[in-house]
Amino acid sequence: MHTGALASALRDIVGSDGVIDHPDALSVYDCDGYTLERSAPDLVVLPRTPAEVAAVVCRLWTAGVPFVPRGAGTGLSGGTLPVHAPVMVCTSRLTAIEAVDVRNRRARVQAGVINASITRAVERHGLLYAPDPSSQPACTIGGNVAENSGGPHTLKYGVTTNHVLGVELVLSSGQIVELGGPVEDRLGYDLTGIVVGSEGTLGIVTRAWVRLVRAPQAVRTLLAVFETVEAASEAVSAIIGAGLVPAALEMMDRLIITAVEEAFHVGLPTDAGAVLLVELDGPSAGLDDELARVTAICRRRGVREVRVARDDAERAALWKCRKRAFGAVGRLARNYCTQDGVVPRTRVPDILRTITGVAERYRLRIGNVFHAGDGNIHPILLFDERDHDEVARVLAAGKEILEACVALGGSVTGEHGIGVEKIAQMPLLFSPDDLREMLRVRAVFDPDRRANPHKIFPDALVCVEARAPRRQVPL
Amino acid sequence: MTPWAEVAGADAVRAGGASDAVDGVVPAWVVRPRDVAGVRAVLAKATREGCGVVACGLGRHLDVGAPPRTLEVLLHLDLPSRILAYEPADMTITVEAGCTLASLAETLAASGQWLPIDPPCAGQTTVGGLVAANLSGPLRASQGTVRDLLIGIAVVGNDGALVRGGGRVVKNVAGYDVPKLHVGALGSLGVIVEATFKVRPRPEREEAMAIEVSGPGEATSLALDLCRAVEPSWIELVHPASLVDGSDDASLVVVGCAGAAAWVDEAAAEIRRLAAPHATLRHADGAALRRALSDVSARRVPAIIRVATLPSELGSFVVPTIEALVAEGHDLDLTAHVASGVARIGVRAADSVRHVLDRLRAGAPPQALVVVDRATAASKTGLDVWGTVPVGRGGALMASLKREIDPNGVFAPGRFVCQP
Repeated sequence: MHTGALASALRDIVGSDGVIDHPDALSVYDCDGYTLERSAPDLVVLPRTPAEVAAVVCRLWTAGVPFVPRGAGTGLSGGTLPVHAPVMVCTSRLTAIEAVDVRNRRARVQAGVINASITRAVERHGLLYAPDPSSQPACTIGGNVAENSGGPHTLKYGVTTNHVLGVELVLSSGQIVELGGPVEDRLGYDLTGIVVGSEGTLGIVTRAWVRLVRAPQAVRTLLAVFETVEAASEAVSAIIGAGLVPAALEMMDRLIITAVEEAFHVGLPTDAGAVLLVELDGPSAGLDDELARVTAICRRRGVREVRVARDDAERAALWKCRKRAFGAVGRLARNYCTQDGVVPRTRVPDILRTITGVAERYRLRIGNVFHAGDGNIHPILLFDERDHDEVARVLAAGKEILEACVALGGSVTGEHGIGVEKIAQMPLLFSPDDLREMLRVRAVFDPDRRANPHKIFPDALVCVEARAPRRQVPL
Repeated sequence: MTPWAEVAGADAVRAGGASDAVDGVVPAWVVRPRDVAGVRAVLAKATREGCGVVACGLGRHLDVGAPPRTLEVLLHLDLPSRILAYEPADMTITVEAGCTLASLAETLAASGQWLPIDPPCAGQTTVGGLVAANLSGPLRASQGTVRDLLIGIAVVGNDGALVRGGGRVVKNVAGYDVPKLHVGALGSLGVIVEATFKVRPRPEREEAMAIEVSGPGEATSLALDLCRAVEPSWIELVHPASLVDGSDDASLVVVGCAGAAAWVDEAAAEIRRLAAPHATLRHADGAALRRALSDVSARRVPAIIRVATLPSELGSFVVPTIEALVAEGHDLDLTAHVASGVARIGVRAADSVRHVLDRLRAGAPPQALVVVDRATAASKTGLDVWGTVPVGRGGALMASLKREIDPNGVFAPGRFVCQP
């Protein structure tokens, strides 16, 4: 079908302001947080209700047109990059929090609800929505479901999949299915579990049933300053090894500390090798004992200084450093690229040594800010996109770091997804039989691969013009 | 030479007998492969010949599920049972499916850790059975279920292919979350041969507080209040109390607190205060009582019906329905994981099973699940164990998933939902 005719048909469903087809306006949608590749859709559709999403998808099905689902576009692996999918269906206008069941600690929300607004809506009941990606002021639940998003507090509370009990999914045929629901046990196969983390390749999620958890009675947040990354890594292993489960256990190295300090002036020691941000939460009874144990462990690893946040304001300041670290890095270089690898917790020192070696060999500046307690690393590679040689070195270095993660028994992505970025790395993790099994699952939901085609799977790898890396959007 | 000896070895094969029956269906052969290669060989042959295979560990939980439609081979998976990888500071463990929970617990305990899933009859439960039947116990209230702790899996599928999903690290979003598909699927999408779990540190102390009250209605309301006020590690309702310990005409609320000693003391005091005027009996060995409570959920009665609903609906739907049925003369008992909204109704007379099941299904709130959790072979005859998954709730997708992954109908045919 001609694009103009399709646009007109879609306007009949979503209204005239619900379809974008002007090239200038479309360029906004040519990438998400992963900016190394760009490709604008022919049309962007912005439905207002789950029913409109279904009607739009139904129309696309009839027209034989593949589509890309998109939430807020904060993804970091190019999951919403249109690749032979002319139409982008955005769920950002589906913003209703439809039901909050305080007694049973559940909420039913539409896909376009922003992560942080769930907690805002329920905090007066002493509840919160636990998964907290750094982009939580902007990212949507629909996107979180697609990516199985994590965040600093997933060390104790788990990732998105642990907090989503059910979803409403629009299949590529336009049919609506409700999988799971507010009840914990479900009948039959755990299809909700397979939809979470499927990166929009099984359909478009329009609603989700999420679990709410009780806000912790007490919180202790501390910043531990170390001379070296090695000492900080050893402290991480020792904390975990001692049977403590902090709510969060985050590390920043010197390069990141410097960037954050220059941006926010919170008094971080820019001569330190690394800082650990440790948060403990739970019932107040026993929490100070835990804090003392963490402090003692840090002291045995030669900590220079331990600062405990005295109140909510100090705690918020520490977290601001961590969650805005990516943005702060923008001050250090024209461009940067964030990687997302995972290693077993005990191998964090090994991977950090590898990264140091890679930085030297490729003559690059690489900073590290990451979920140390989970072994989920986020090396940030700095570069200038005008220097084509440097861009090539960044791509090669990123690949080498991910390969090292796999060699250490880990994964090429802990929370950002495969998208288009890491398709080539899938065979490092999975055999042809493993991948075929996933494709069988896909065939059940979307036999013609109309939903977010050419993502995740290597056989779907097609050429999108790879351009020079660009500045990453602030998180 | 039996037809299976050439692929599994003569000493791994014997003819099936009445004592091997699965829900009354006697397998032609019982095969007990020594290793994963043996499992693959058996399933490659089964795929070629299109014959039905049911896998089991030690067989204790074979009373879960619908009767197999056909059963050529009962596959015992207790032999491949090694611990393949365990680095305590990584807080992950990888084991073969035949590993018993007892052996797993022993290994983890030596490093002060545990896998906090407490199914009934843990001593007779293998890791494969735990995952395939999605077993859980009181601890699910605070620790989650298999889906929350399983991070990697290996299954032998169609043609004997070894298929892996997930991985060995605690955070991993590469590809689809394939392990989820096998949780509770009763081996209908492949035979689980290996699993990797997140594990956690053992709590410093675990105590339990038992409160005897006059009936299940009062017990439910007290339990829901305690959930909100204390957020215990687990909280169980038992009626009648005599299922565990106590009188025939009272109900029990048992509350568990596992964690730092200081918190356990504080929570115990708070529970005692909230439970007043009822007397609270404090058990210093909370874990032992918890295991006993878990075992009750697999009690030997003609049928146990599981109702999963919202916690608040235990009081508004489950208890009133049970009380009405009892008043009509049905002999029933009731246990519940209160915080999770999961109740189990024990039907003590075989001739009541169908009526009780129908009544619960007819009155259940729209989102609730009513299934036959366990039943004797005789009770299952003619019973719709799972009920139907409507198309709009994924029923067609599930049927298609089964066809796509098991085109020859090899894996536990008829045992799970959405199967011809």
